[in-house]
Amino acid sequence: MESKTITITIDGKTYQTQEGLTIMQAADQLGFHIPRLCYHPKLSIEGACRVCIVEVEGVRTYVASCAYPVMDGMKIRTNTQEIRRARRDIVELILDNHPQDCHTCERDSNCELQRLAASMGIRKRHFEGERKKYEKDLTSTSVIRDPNKCILCGRCVRICSEVQKVTALGHAHRGFQTVVMPAYNMPFRDSVCTTCGQCINVCPTAAFVEKVYTQDLFAKLNDPSIIKVAQVAPSVRAAIGEAFGLEPGRAMEREIAAALRRLGFDYVFDTQFSADLTIMEEASEFLERFQGKGKLPMITSCSSAWMKCVEQFHPDLLENVSTCKSPMSMMGALVRTYFADKIKKDPKEILSVAVMCCTAKKYEASRPELMVNGLPAIDMVVTTREIAWMFKSAGIDLLHIKGEDFDEPLGLSSGAGAIFGATGGVMEAAIRTAYELYTGETLMDIELESLRGLAGIKEGKVTIDGKEIRVAVAHGLGNAATVLDMVRKDPDRFHFVEIMGCPGGCIGGGGQPYAGINSMPLDEECLKKRAEALYGIDRRKTIRRSHENPDVQRLYKDFLGRPLSAKSHQLLHTHYKVKEPRGIIPQELKVR
Amino acid sequence: MTTPLDMIKKKRAEAINRILGKGYLSTKRVYVGMATCEIAAGSKDVMAVFENAIKNEGLTDVYLSQKGCAGRCNLEPTVEVVEEGKIPVKYGKVTREMARQIIDQHLKKGEVIKEWIIH
Amino acid sequence: MPRRYVITLCDGPTCIHKRSKELEAAIETELTRHELTGRVSVNLSGCLGMCAQGPVMAINPQYTVYGNVTADDIPEIVSSHILKKKPVARLAIDEDHLYNRFFRVFGDINFFGKQMRIVLRNCGIIDPENIDDYLSVRGYEALAKVLTDMKPADVIAQVKTSGLRGRGGAGFPTGIKWELAARQKTDEKFLICNADEGDPGAFMDRSTIEGDPHTVLEGMIIGAYAVGASKGFVYIRAEYPLAIKRLEKAIADARRECFLGKNILGSDFSFDIEIRLGAGAFVCGEETALIHSIEGHRGMPRPRPPYPSVQGLFDKPTLINNVETWANIPVIILDGAEWFSSIGTEKSKGTKVFALAGKIKNTGLIEVPMGVTLRSIIYDIGGGIPNNKKFKALQTGGPSGGCLSEDYLDTKIDYESLAAAGSIMGSGGMIVMDEDSCMVNIARFFLEFTQNESCGKCTPCREGTKRMLEILTRITEGKGQEGDIERLERLGNLIKKASLCGLGQSAPNPVLSTIKNFRSEYEEHIKQKKCRAGACTALTGYEITDKCVGCTACRKVCPVGAITGNPKSRHFIDQGKCVKCGLCFDTCKFSAIKKG
Repeated sequence: MESKTITITIDGKTYQTQEGLTIMQAADQLGFHIPRLCYHPKLSIEGACRVCIVEVEGVRTYVASCAYPVMDGMKIRTNTQEIRRARRDIVELILDNHPQDCHTCERDSNCELQRLAASMGIRKRHFEGERKKYEKDLTSTSVIRDPNKCILCGRCVRICSEVQKVTALGHAHRGFQTVVMPAYNMPFRDSVCTTCGQCINVCPTAAFVEKVYTQDLFAKLNDPSIIKVAQVAPSVRAAIGEAFGLEPGRAMEREIAAALRRLGFDYVFDTQFSADLTIMEEASEFLERFQGKGKLPMITSCSSAWMKCVEQFHPDLLENVSTCKSPMSMMGALVRTYFADKIKKDPKEILSVAVMCCTAKKYEASRPELMVNGLPAIDMVVTTREIAWMFKSAGIDLLHIKGEDFDEPLGLSSGAGAIFGATGGVMEAAIRTAYELYTGETLMDIELESLRGLAGIKEGKVTIDGKEIRVAVAHGLGNAATVLDMVRKDPDRFHFVEIMGCPGGCIGGGGQPYAGINSMPLDEECLKKRAEALYGIDRRKTIRRSHENPDVQRLYKDFLGRPLSAKSHQLLHTHYKVKEPRGIIPQELKVR
Repeated sequence: MTTPLDMIKKKRAEAINRILGKGYLSTKRVYVGMATCEIAAGSKDVMAVFENAIKNEGLTDVYLSQKGCAGRCNLEPTVEVVEEGKIPVKYGKVTREMARQIIDQHLKKGEVIKEWIIH
Repeated sequence: MPRRYVITLCDGPTCIHKRSKELEAAIETELTRHELTGRVSVNLSGCLGMCAQGPVMAINPQYTVYGNVTADDIPEIVSSHILKKKPVARLAIDEDHLYNRFFRVFGDINFFGKQMRIVLRNCGIIDPENIDDYLSVRGYEALAKVLTDMKPADVIAQVKTSGLRGRGGAGFPTGIKWELAARQKTDEKFLICNADEGDPGAFMDRSTIEGDPHTVLEGMIIGAYAVGASKGFVYIRAEYPLAIKRLEKAIADARRECFLGKNILGSDFSFDIEIRLGAGAFVCGEETALIHSIEGHRGMPRPRPPYPSVQGLFDKPTLINNVETWANIPVIILDGAEWFSSIGTEKSKGTKVFALAGKIKNTGLIEVPMGVTLRSIIYDIGGGIPNNKKFKALQTGGPSGGCLSEDYLDTKIDYESLAAAGSIMGSGGMIVMDEDSCMVNIARFFLEFTQNESCGKCTPCREGTKRMLEILTRITEGKGQEGDIERLERLGNLIKKASLCGLGQSAPNPVLSTIKNFRSEYEEHIKQKKCRAGACTALTGYEITDKCVGCTACRKVCPVGAITGNPKSRHFIDQGKCVKCGLCFDTCKFSAIKKG
């Protein structure tokens, strides 16, 4: 439908705009940035905070510009003394019911409320009174919920139900007692929360933060009796610069390796190496299934939030899920075995740390079935945000540090391992390898454009040896649910499905740096630039196919034998079980 | 062709016949208010007194029915006695005992109990 | 000896125009001539709704309504009807007319004489659980008429002409709402009856459904025909079990009789109704919150536009009206939009049902024509204030409304006049307060209600009402500070203009209106730490004056032993011990205890 050009007046001046826009959208295009808080471009309109109110001539009340459509001839005032005071009072009302502990808050200097209050010029308080008082929920492995910091903008509720379709969070109670909580206020650990951490990404304050391990890690790094090993996920290097004020899109892999050594790690490995390994196993598993041994479509299993999601909500499709562990857990298994042998150390004396873009990896690290010889595959997971803070806290200058390589034998990676971090990357990498494993020929045209980009669900076809392979790629658990419904409806529609739990894939993970002052969390431009950083790494590599990684080849030769060998199965594969969705039917209905 | 209006006329005639068939033309009709508010004020008890009396005392000329709230909240429960050709009488704040007396005095002897009437 | 008669003379504008005042004089003359003045009382009533036949008068008992009466007819009426008990047949208006039935049935002229019952026309008259009763009073005839001779557009035109406005509170013109819904082109449309009556003390909708459920259903079916809806919901609170039961029975009976379901009354039109129960959240009376609740979500309002008529339940166009609005529809169809629009004021047509409560003699459910004054409701229908107390304030519109002082008693009931006075029509709660009510405390009470019932979504309503409540609480506790009134006004005006939904936008009304009309009481509380009504415990003290005769009654009832004194000598209250329960004050027979 073609939209009509209409004329509106903003603050006394006349402008042309398009019918169908909201006042806020029209104003944005015209260079008016109306203050806002609960609004998020990816989510439905809430209209709750009332910070974006404007005056419209002829309307009795103020209107929320995020929700109200522009109309021809509309006269809008965004900046009168009256509206400025009303907005200021609204923000003060929020502050009056907010802990006044900015200096000690995790989001200090990164807080949307703080920035908003500053722009309102709130210097005096008029209405102070009772403040909410709740206990923090520390039960989750990944996400800390602190309702005291919550300003009830509802972004977390919306991203959880609209984008992720998990609906772990909802509003409860009324009036001043209103609070966002999991069903029945159950401990977060027992809820259906998949620990994806998107609530953290969109929260304007510190009502949701990741469970922080930085102090524990500092303590361990100072323990000379243990070997400290780190691995770094692909997406961390694509985003960490943002935490140091860089524009999104700068790839900093060698800087991170150097910085981690400065921090006290003895070995810095690359999760991209184990991504290559994952591809070897996963592509082989796919080909087995494709040749009739096992269920199709095969669905990827790298994303931890996705794995909790599938166990809880899609148990009927568990058999379709690849048995491969995630690259992080594969690396963890190798560190405890192959690497421990190499350096002739007791695996117990190795501290295995994963630096991840992800909060759900903290949950994955706690899963008992992923233990290796009685030891956790990973001792500690820290997010991009945490490691960035540790660098700053330890005085490590990431921006000017001279880059270094990752350590052998688990540090060399192909370009295919790098693109794991962006949605579609696993599929692209797997096809590069599966093609050659199946046909014995090298796939030349390896950049599969149809699988790149931020479309919610991407479909593609590859012909391998005359046979058509139909693939689908989904990112975000909401899109995942849609793809699974397609699979249920027509089990033959796809052969291979890639699912990542977070919008954009790992680059949009729940542990990535907070949005800068000029962009919203999960801003599409930012995600695209992060993805581009990974594709750039891929392009610059001479080795771009996982099976060509010489260290991977040596690993198979020296240790694992071949893909899907008994040893591989023992260390690199696992089985997922149906999880009772305890969040939906509590065993003991306890309303707190 | 039968129009909806024709149908409704037929339905109304049938309905009126059914009402008449239930004894509407009895010489005395008793209506007990049975809205939530009236029930809260005790109209179920009052209704029971009338029902029992009609059943056990051979009051064959009395037609008993319930009705909704007429709006006299402070005077509930209300009981209305309609006698053909006479002024309808509406009693307010009727208790079980008063209902008993209404049966004995008004329904059986035709004596209106003036002091209980709502004016 | 002639019995006692009541003559009710219509005092509506049309009848006055048709010289009803001359009748009044003529009646007085005739009654004096026959020495009947003591036996016959003459009342003036608001519009009786029979304007076409005005001037109109009714004589009760015998429930005769006379129309087109001139002064010359009066001698005949008095001599024939009053003296010889023979009604004057040539002047009597059709006995079957709907709206004189109340005089016929009740004879309770003082209470019902000034009322006019359209919505409640059958309430208290028919057996609500028997569809035959409803059919016998022209039930479903409006529906049959619509299906026989009217196109949907004709129905909407009728509703528009009638001037009916939404009775849920805001007063949006019903016809325009219908037109908007009818104009939407979609595969499916819904229709909702909002029976989520949440105002404390309000029971208009409950009584309507309990007393005459079919009227509401008939209105809904006609509405569905007009806008093309296929499915309707009655959203009613679970706390109304009897209303639900009667509604369920009514729906089942209506289905059986072919008023609901496929091919209603043999036509092509199909429509069905289901009941949805609400859990008693006040905010679910707000239409978008109600829609969320029916959809299975938490009842929280969303910004409008889009209005439900465009995008409502399950994102389909949805026509939503409240119980009272729906109940008006069959009458408008049967008796005509012109007739309906002749009742009421210029901008507010028809009648309004109110739940009259508080410090008033006749508490009850009343229905009056728009345009009646508040004074008439309180003193004529309500019978005034009991116990010789003084009227202080009238609260209309429940927690969303305002408190009006005596100065506003001549305000006419209509949407605009009440709004101009600083209150609202609301859904119809009307609470009368006497001198024992403290206006600050009343404001606090209502605000506490809205704060507790706020859905918590938008900042002004959730946080702002809490701060207002804190300020009001401290004022009533004697801890009010300089500037508190201004703070209340600042917050109140903010909440009014910036809140997301009607709940928030009207929540400050009780506070702002009491500040406007009773500002001195606020100032007394803050500056002099005094509550003149004696309602704020912290500010109330008791003192025994020299009127005390030493009867010892107060000493005996005091639960904390704060009163001392010997028999037959003046007693004293130990202020340190006194807990201000007021028992001594209530007990003293000699007015020797002073409160304040």
